[in-house]
Amino acid sequence: MMSELTLLLLRIGFLIVLWGFVFAIVYSLRSDLFGQKVRRLPAAAGASRQTAVAPTAPAVSRPTKSRPETGASLDATRLVITSGAKQGLEVELPAETLTIGRSNESGLVIRDDYTSTHHARLLRWNDGWVVQDLDSTNGTFLNGVRVTVPTHVPLNTPVKIGATSFELRR
Amino acid sequence: MSSPDTEAMATPATNAISTFTSNIRVKLRTPARQRNLELVLVLFAIGVNLSLIALVQLGALGHLGFGAITLSAVLGVLILGVHATLRVVAPDADPLILPIITVLNGLGIAMIYRIDLADHRSGWDSAGIKQIVWTALAIAIAIAVLIIVRNHRVLQRYRYIAMFSGIVLLLLPMLPVVGSTVNGARLWVALGPFSFQPGELAKVALAIFFAGYLVTARDSLSMVGRTILGITFPRARDLGPILVVFTISMLVLVFQRDLGTALLYFGLFLVMIYVATGRSSWVILGVGMFLGGALIASQTLSYVHGRVEAWLDPFNPDIYNAEGGSYQLVQGLFGFANGGLIGTGLGRGRPDITPLASSDYIVSALGEELGLVGLFAILALYLLFVSRGFRIGFAGQDDFGRLLGVGLSFAIALQVFVVIGGVTRVIPLTGLTTPFLAAGGSSLAANWIIAALLLRLSDAVRHKPLLVVDPEVSPKLVVGQ
Repeated sequence: MMSELTLLLLRIGFLIVLWGFVFAIVYSLRSDLFGQKVRRLPAAAGASRQTAVAPTAPAVSRPTKSRPETGASLDATRLVITSGAKQGLEVELPAETLTIGRSNESGLVIRDDYTSTHHARLLRWNDGWVVQDLDSTNGTFLNGVRVTVPTHVPLNTPVKIGATSFELRR
Repeated sequence: MSSPDTEAMATPATNAISTFTSNIRVKLRTPARQRNLELVLVLFAIGVNLSLIALVQLGALGHLGFGAITLSAVLGVLILGVHATLRVVAPDADPLILPIITVLNGLGIAMIYRIDLADHRSGWDSAGIKQIVWTALAIAIAIAVLIIVRNHRVLQRYRYIAMFSGIVLLLLPMLPVVGSTVNGARLWVALGPFSFQPGELAKVALAIFFAGYLVTARDSLSMVGRTILGITFPRARDLGPILVVFTISMLVLVFQRDLGTALLYFGLFLVMIYVATGRSSWVILGVGMFLGGALIASQTLSYVHGRVEAWLDPFNPDIYNAEGGSYQLVQGLFGFANGGLIGTGLGRGRPDITPLASSDYIVSALGEELGLVGLFAILALYLLFVSRGFRIGFAGQDDFGRLLGVGLSFAIALQVFVVIGGVTRVIPLTGLTTPFLAAGGSSLAANWIIAALLLRLSDAVRHKPLLVVDPEVSPKLVVGQ
């Protein structure tokens, strides 16, 4: 038979282990509680981008002037970063929604001091893309005007979030 | 630099960029970081479960027996099977849900096994063995759900089928041949030796229907209405859906004699309509309707009246000794008191005195043997589970997924509140099962399905970002030039 003392120690030990499990889980989700730590990208990915981005910087500003059409953004297929850290990079637009913010869960992650965790989102509406500000601290600017209600985004019009601007392109 | 040069560079460079970005997107996918974290936590959880069984045996029998520990280890292997499935079909799923429900389920099995030992039940008669088999089955169902439902948006297409099957499941116990009455509530379907509580599965089906329906209907439910005292109330013609759900809940209350299920369905709908429309007037209306309905029910339905009396005055000898009185509730409270701060120790208390200690009153049994400290750990695990669910709903990319995530996790939260609130005398006692803990196959299966759906939703949420703009890297660009 086990002595009472051993059982007492086992009992207390188990409660400690149980709480240890709870705290292990809380520790794993600490980024939810204290926000996303600003981390560097893996060096390799960063390096490959550096070589890619540099030559395009002058190229990007040109099409804006040469293509005057600012029609419906229904046929916009890509998003081009026109100023900021990743100037010149482009991504394909997703089917329905693109969330923008500092959080890792966003579709477009912008990690700078001016961007809120869940900053804004682009939605495909009836006849094109709409930008909606998600009560961000520093605001979302469409062509220099702060967005307060969901606003239609024409093609080739700069949307500014923090230190980053992007445009929707065909 | 002269302009012709720039022009010459422009086109090939842009092309180079687009191929580069598509390449980078693949490279950035760090494989299975979530899953490795999950593996560590799941192994921790399985260790907790094994030590639970060992402690129960040491406390109740004084020696270790290998039968139960082996069965618990087999369950651990099955849970690692879920983990392996996630690695293949949902690599970005939330890493915390599986470990949390593993420990909750293990706590339930250990306590049911402990009550079996006290009642000298063994083999296939014992509730513990049945619970282990049901858990294995529930895990298998969860794996099947993960494999079959690859994209949660498909569920939106089947919303009316979900509604229909939800209502059929609700009505099934009312049918004359298969329906059966257990402890006064007509919630069970008996087919030969098997009995099933279809209302548990109806919970999942109705959550899918509510989410699908509210995504399409919320504009008319949220845009118009008249404002009274600063709160916008809906038009009378938009009250249809809430009245239908209210009527169904009241029918459950009257004909199936089950207060808890009625509260669960109505509360689930209320929260989902609130989340979909963002209007507090729905909550005010709904709570008012339910309180009114419950008040009338407590005056007219004898069993509801008895529950309320037992809640308000449990230590009155008349109520304590009455048939269906407060005996069980008071025994549960005595259990908590006996447990105190750190509990009597597993296998060292007398949780078996309380009637139905392994199903409705498993929380008081755990409270007696693990104490307040252990009970709070269990509540913390539920809190973490529900917060993960809300988080998944919050971060979701599509409205259906967001509503479904919130609805499913709120169903668990409400169920925990109703059961533990009832046992601890915060609200009148109602007959709901404690998710993952209580003995009962239908409840286990339904809750594992909920967990599988949340895992599926979280996989869709946690897809890698299209592009990361990180200014910390940008100074290097300039330097590199």
